[in-house]
Formats: sequence, C-alpha cells, structure tokens
Amino acid sequence: MPIFAAMFSRFSAFSIVFLVLSTLGQVLAQAEFAEDSLRTRELDEVIITATRNERTMGALPMPVSLISNVKIKTMGSLRLNDVLTEQTGLVVVPQVNGQGNGIQLQGLNPEYTLILIDGEPVVGRNTGTLELSRLAVGNIKQIEIVKGPSSSLYGSEALAGVINIITERPSGSKYNFKSRYGSNNTLDLGGDVSYTHKNLGVYVFGNRYSTDGYDLSPENPGNTVSPFDNYTFSSKVTYKLGERTDLSIAGRFFHEDQRFNFEVLQGSSRIQTSGTGNTQDWNVNPVLTHRFNSRLKVIGRFYTTKYKNNTDLNFEDKSAYYNDELSQSFLRPEVNGEYYINDKNILTVGGGYISESVQTTRYDDGAERFQYTSYGFFQHEWMPFDKWSVILGGRYDRSNIYGSQFSPKLSSHFDLNDKIVLKASVGKGFKAPDFRQVYLNFTNPAAGGYSVLGSAVAGARLKELQANGELITSLDPSQIGDLEAEESFAINVGANVEIFPGLKGDINVFHNQIDNLIETQIVATTIFNQNIYSYRNILRAYTQGLETNLNYPILKDVNLSVGYQLLFAKDRDVKQAVENGEVFYRDPNSLVTRRLSSGEYFGLYNRSRHSGNIKLFYSNRQKGWEASARVIYRGKFGIGDISGNIQGETIPPSDRNSNGILDNYDDFVAGYALLNLSVAKSITSGFRFQLGIDNVFDYTEPVFIPNLPGRIMYAGVSYSFSKKGNQ
Amino acid sequence: MQGFLIHFQKKAINKSIYNYNLTMKFLNYFLIIGVVFSFTLGLFSCSDDDPAPIPVVSTIFSDLDADYAPFEPITGPPTGPPKRIGETNEFTFFSFATGEIVANTDSATSNWDIGFRRSEIIFNSGANGPGNTTALMLEDIFDEVLEAPADGYASDTDNENVISSSPQNTGAPANYWWFNSGSGSSTVVAPIAGRVIVVKTSQNRYAKMEILSYYKGAPAAPDNMADEDRHYTFRYVYQPNDTRKFE
Repeated sequence: MPIFAAMFSRFSAFSIVFLVLSTLGQVLAQAEFAEDSLRTRELDEVIITATRNERTMGALPMPVSLISNVKIKTMGSLRLNDVLTEQTGLVVVPQVNGQGNGIQLQGLNPEYTLILIDGEPVVGRNTGTLELSRLAVGNIKQIEIVKGPSSSLYGSEALAGVINIITERPSGSKYNFKSRYGSNNTLDLGGDVSYTHKNLGVYVFGNRYSTDGYDLSPENPGNTVSPFDNYTFSSKVTYKLGERTDLSIAGRFFHEDQRFNFEVLQGSSRIQTSGTGNTQDWNVNPVLTHRFNSRLKVIGRFYTTKYKNNTDLNFEDKSAYYNDELSQSFLRPEVNGEYYINDKNILTVGGGYISESVQTTRYDDGAERFQYTSYGFFQHEWMPFDKWSVILGGRYDRSNIYGSQFSPKLSSHFDLNDKIVLKASVGKGFKAPDFRQVYLNFTNPAAGGYSVLGSAVAGARLKELQANGELITSLDPSQIGDLEAEESFAINVGANVEIFPGLKGDINVFHNQIDNLIETQIVATTIFNQNIYSYRNILRAYTQGLETNLNYPILKDVNLSVGYQLLFAKDRDVKQAVENGEVFYRDPNSLVTRRLSSGEYFGLYNRSRHSGNIKLFYSNRQKGWEASARVIYRGKFGIGDISGNIQGETIPPSDRNSNGILDNYDDFVAGYALLNLSVAKSITSGFRFQLGIDNVFDYTEPVFIPNLPGRIMYAGVSYSFSKKGNQ
Repeated sequence: MQGFLIHFQKKAINKSIYNYNLTMKFLNYFLIIGVVFSFTLGLFSCSDDDPAPIPVVSTIFSDLDADYAPFEPITGPPTGPPKRIGETNEFTFFSFATGEIVANTDSATSNWDIGFRRSEIIFNSGANGPGNTTALMLEDIFDEVLEAPADGYASDTDNENVISSSPQNTGAPANYWWFNSGSGSSTVVAPIAGRVIVVKTSQNRYAKMEILSYYKGAPAAPDNMADEDRHYTFRYVYQPNDTRKFE
C-alpha cells in the first residue's frame, strides 16, 4: 500500500486529468453523431418506487429520476453520499451537530426524505438524519428517486420524497471482485457472487471499507473525520416455489468501528478526549409473491431490522465525557395486491403493521419505548386514453403516538404530442414525531445543566419541579400537549420535452407547504437559571422552486447533461413578520438599525438558492473505455445556530445584524464548484482498471462543510467473471 | 397634571396586583410621595411661562462595564460551568439626566435611572429601587420613535423585570432585549435589532435608548472567547424638558 500512496502525488493528479481529457479529446476527434438507439435505450428504464409496481419511467406522472449501476461505476463512487451529491436537486448536508452526511431534497431537511432498500425503510437516524455513508453502493442495481410527498404509499417520513435503493438480484452465475485504494489511506475491498441453478438463485455481496479519515484544520487537535472501518454483507436468495409463486429472502449486516481522539473545549481550556463509536445494523426481509392469475398478484413481506449505536468518549483521566447508547428496532409485516381490472384500470391495495422501538440512555429510565402503527393504502391507475393517465392514491396510518393521518395523492400525465409530456401531482406528506421528540429526558451537566424533555415527559416533569419550587418561570404544563405529525402539502408540475432529436429536457416546478414543524422551545427556567426545553409544533415554512435537466448525446459515445435547481425556502411566520415591518437589522459597523424589506429576507439556513451540475460521460463498450468529467455546483448558503463544534471550533452562525434570521446582509458560506474526473478501461480477460480524482481543485471549508474532504485520488482494479449460457 | 396623578395611582394599584405583600400603609406612602412630588413638579413647570428648551441630543455611551471579570482558566476535566472569580455581583448605575455612571454607593437614592449587571437590566423603582423610574420596550427604529408613549410604563417586580435578562426564544413575550447568536453552547449576546427602551425617570422626564453591543469596543462580529463581554454600548436621547417628544 505505501507504494500506492507514494504514487498519489500532485503529479499523478495532473496525469489523471490529462488522461481523462485526452480520452475525451480522442473521442471528439472521431466525431460521429448519435443515432436513435440511445433514445430507445432510455425508454426502457423501469421504476418501482413511484407506484410500488414496475412502470416505465416515461409513463410516470410525478418527478422521478434513476441512477443506474453503470453510471455509479463510471463515477467511481463507493458510498451512497458520493452518488447522491452529484444529482440535480439533491444536496448532501451535515447533520445538526455539523457532522455526517444527510440528504436535502427540494430544500427539505434530511429527516423528511425516506430512504429505502428494496422498498423497506433504513432505520437509525441519529438526531433525525440518516447517515448516508452507512450504505455501500457495490450491490446496487439502481437508485430511484421520487420527488414530492409519497406518504400516500410509504407513510411517515416520505414528506419530501423517497430514495429507494434497488439491490442486485441473482442473475446467471458470475462473480466480481473489486478493490480501490486512494487518498487518506482509504481502502475499499469487495465482491459479489451470483449463482442460479434451476429454481434457486443466490446473490451474496461483501464489502470492507477502511479510511484514516481526514483533517481539514491540522492546527486543531484531532481529525475532522476520525479513522473508521466498516463491513457490509448482504445477500438475496430467490426460490421459485411453483409456477406462480416466488420466494425471496434478503438480508443485510453492517458493522462500523470508529476511533476518536480529539480535544474538547471547556471554557478556555482544551482537554484531551478519546474513545470509540460503534454502529451496527442488520435486516432480514422475506418476500413471498404469488400470481393467482394473469390479473392478480399478491405480495407478502415481513421486514425486520435493528440498528445500534454506541458512543463512548472519555477524558484523559478516564472520566466520562460523553456516553450514549441507542438501539432501534423496526418490524413490519405487510401484504399488498396488484389487480389488473382491465387495460385501462389497475388497482393496488395493501396494508400492514409496524412495531417500532427505541432504547437509549437518554430516555427517562432507559426503558424501551414503543410505537405501533397500522396502515392501509390504495392506488388506482386509470388510463382512459393512450395519451392520458391518472393515478389516485391514499394511505391511512393510525399510531399510538400521533393519532391518525390520511395522505392522499393525485397525479396525472398527458402526452401533448410525441415531443412533449406534461405531468402534475398534488399530495400530502407527513412525518411522525420521532422517539426523541416524545421521550427524551436529557440533562446536560457539562454545558451548565440545561434540560431537554420530550413531549410525553415534559408535563409531568414540570409539575414535579413546580411543586418542589425549582422553577422561576414556566409555561402551563397542561399546554405542553401531545405532538402532532409534521405535515406537508405539495404541488409538482412539469414536462418532459424532446427539444430536437437527441436533446431532451425536463422541468419541474414545485411548491411544498409545510405545517406543524416541530422545534425546540424554552418551556421553563429553573431557579438556577437553567433553561428547560421541550418540543412543540410551532413552525410553518415553505420551499418552492424549479428543477431542470438537459441531456444531449453530443457524440455517439459522449453524453452531456446539465442540471439546475432554483430554490426558495422560507419560514412563513418570519416572512409575515418582515412584510408587517416587524423585523429589523442593525448594521454591525455603523450600528444603525433599519427595517428589513421583504426582498432582503433570504430564507432558511443551509439552503442554496442555486445549485446544479454539468456532466460529461463517455462510454465505448467495444473498446472498453469509460470516462467522466463532472462539475457540481452549490450556491451560497447561510449557517444557523448549530449545536456542535468541529475540532473544538464552534461553527459561527451567519447572522451579523442581530435579528436572528438570514438576510442579504449576513455572512454567507460562499458558493463553490467541484470537479470530479474518472477514467476506466476494461479488457477482455475481465479486468477493469480505474483512475479518478474527486474535487480536483482541492476545495475545502473546514468549519462550514466538514463533510467535504479535499482532493481524493484513487486507483481501482476489478475482475469479473460470468458464465454465459447459464442465465 | 390630573392625568399624571391618575396614572400614578393606577400604577401603584397595578403594582399591588403583582405584589400582595405591599401593605396599605406602603401604598399610601407611595401615593403621598407621588402627589407631593407631582405638585412640586407641576408648580415648577407652570411657574416658568417662557422656558428656553434645553436642546435634545443623541448620545452613544460606550463600554459601560456591567460586572466584567475574566473566566478562571480550567485545568483538567470540568466540574461545572466556568467561573469568574473577580466578579463583584454589583450593578452599574446610570443617570440619563447627567449622562454619567452613578456610584454604586448611591444605590438607595433616586440619583440613578437604570442599572446593569451581566445581562440583567433594572430600573430604579418597584422591587429594584427607591426611585420612580419606569420603562417599557418598543419594537421600532430608534430614530423613528419621536414621542414617548403616554402610558404603559412599568416597574420591576419581585417576579419579573420590565426587561427580561433571559435570551429571546420563540413564543416568548416581547420584553426580551437579546438573543443568543452564538452557536450551540457558546453564548454570544446579541442585542435584538429594533428594540427601543423608553424610560420615564423619577424626575418625570423621558429618555429613549437602544442597546447596541454587549462587548467591549462593540466589535462587528463578537467572539465570546476573545472579546470582553458585559460591556454595554447604547445610544440614548434624554429629553430634559417636560414633554414626551424627542425632538
């Protein structure tokens, strides 16, 4: 490995750039224009997530996109965040504590996008965000992204949209081994095996990922991302029980160990701290599919998953700094049926039951807490004419925590002519209050003794403190009622257009109206002048904008795409207050206070008004060459009050003029563009060699974008073998 | 004159609602003082038929030290919140009429109008002083407050100060003067833009003030580790004449 590491000098960076550019240059030299074969290939793409049934992408009336494993391979990605960060309209953002990777979709926070593996939810959201780097991409067949609320099919969390990872199925007999080594001593080893024999199919995938992490501010002790290694195993076994019955059992196991060593800021001194963090998850998902006849298909599934996280950090004298344990389990039996009434009508009906539990040291007595949800859903696909289709769906969820929720969705698509397809959908989405918001009972002795109480705990605890005379001020405890689900109502209107042969574009205009957003609020102050916080449904917001993509095969083997998202995300109450002239700002230099005008309110933190990408993909199967050059842009954005620090440095909020909101005069994190390059060559013996550089210009922003490592250079070798004729 | 008297009585009664411990005797004492005081004031201003108005000026008072003391350095693991051993726990008093700090030994007089200690702001009346200075807070632009409101002034009570010393939080009542613009557990005291405090002094004169900074030298981007906190910079206008107008 050290030999490899030495190879990765600055010089090799340039040589890779040169290689990619010269490959693309060669291609341009042998200019040959694309034929229609490319168009037909794309029409074949099938998406499951939007309707729970296999439907061709072009026929779907809501904004959907698909990332194929071929693209993922060419990009050289290893983890899910690597892939998603390059997609139009998706922004990978740190969690609330400033670390990790979550996904922002249509300007909504990571907790509002449901992430599924083969249609089943991935659990384990620390502070609401699902860590995307937990998911390896080596076993992915395709990633499907549905934008706009999809609670009508998937229930809670599908408020902004759904990202569904479709994993490989057993197909033929083949195996594949992959290795990649790159900057930060990052080694990725993995492979998969597919075997089919008569009615049996087996697919097994294994991956080991290890990295030294990285350090964006070497002047501060510790790493920005501490070293870690993880293992992923997944498998899928399929068995044809009969002519009409299929059984599939999928499973996954993941384990990660991280080693921390840093200093904690206490007052004005820094204290050496070290420890470990372990994350583990597993799931099992048996699925039984039976076709009663050519019209009726019924699928039964029983999904079980468990997530565990353990953080154990101690000061140098072995006294505890932070110890936290969380385990979450999720169990869900579900049955759904798809019935072809006739050529014009398809009905999907289903129902299920979810039992979910969380146990953590941060809850009252460490006892396990449960949430039960039962649900039923329907979806009617109606195609009155060839050119026109309508999908009406709805889902009813009933829970012991938030009561009940009905989420309807109506969408329609219309082929105006063979060049233009119009699409529109309206729907409701929701997110159930999570366990933390309901059951948390946490007092932080280190930070001066403030407390955070979940909604189910707060009332009783406040009464108790009040009776003991420990409170100075308090809201009426009876006012702190049960939390309601957070809700959205959204409209998406768009079109797919073939502007001229080969040049395709799509556009989608969206508006998400969000109500009942849960936010922490001070509910009482103790006689020791410490605040007690609880969660309440107090915020209202909206996000709106448009997303557009253009795609053009500039040459036979070269595809150019451009994507752009325009986004406005605002707090509706702040917007109203600004319009009423009730919001001011004080210039920090002249100390003069002025009234803020509507146009000066920028909006919510951590949202870029402009983001986009330009990508060039080259692929020539005969010659075995692939290459890509991708530019990813994210516009300026603001930083709110983040409760965390990066390597002992607090993350300064953007507000510069004492109004606590983000306006045009505040300090923004500047926009940036990343250039990623890759090139690969396959040879007939089954070997494939890849070189790549992500973030060629080594852009970093240590405090505000700690999840962005600097320049990453890598080299990879893979070998695949497939036994033809046995497929 | 009559209006003032009625207002004064109303204030006293209002106060008794807050504080049941006030005896009738105490209430009467207040009333008598009020009556006597307002008569003298009235006589004084009525006797002068052609007053030469004293000019009104806007002044910035910089770096009023409100019990600043440096943090004690911590060695080893923390055992509690950081301490400041040098702090005195005393208020710094200020008089709008003189535009100067009033010695702390004068705390039992009505020589001062407003007192500062850490983020706490008190007025010389009610629970916090023998004087009769009352105040209110407006959400407005300092220069656009051309006239002091006729009423609405209040005294600090045992339970609540006119101006809260806690940081503003969503849904909190509007008598907060600062919010935490620091991130996470690092508190940066940012005086909320557009909060104007109007003060009615013991001498029945009006002043308006806007707090501009809580850090020494009023830095544009305060750093709670590097900058010295508990230093108030504020802009004020004192109206020395018997009028509510600030012109």
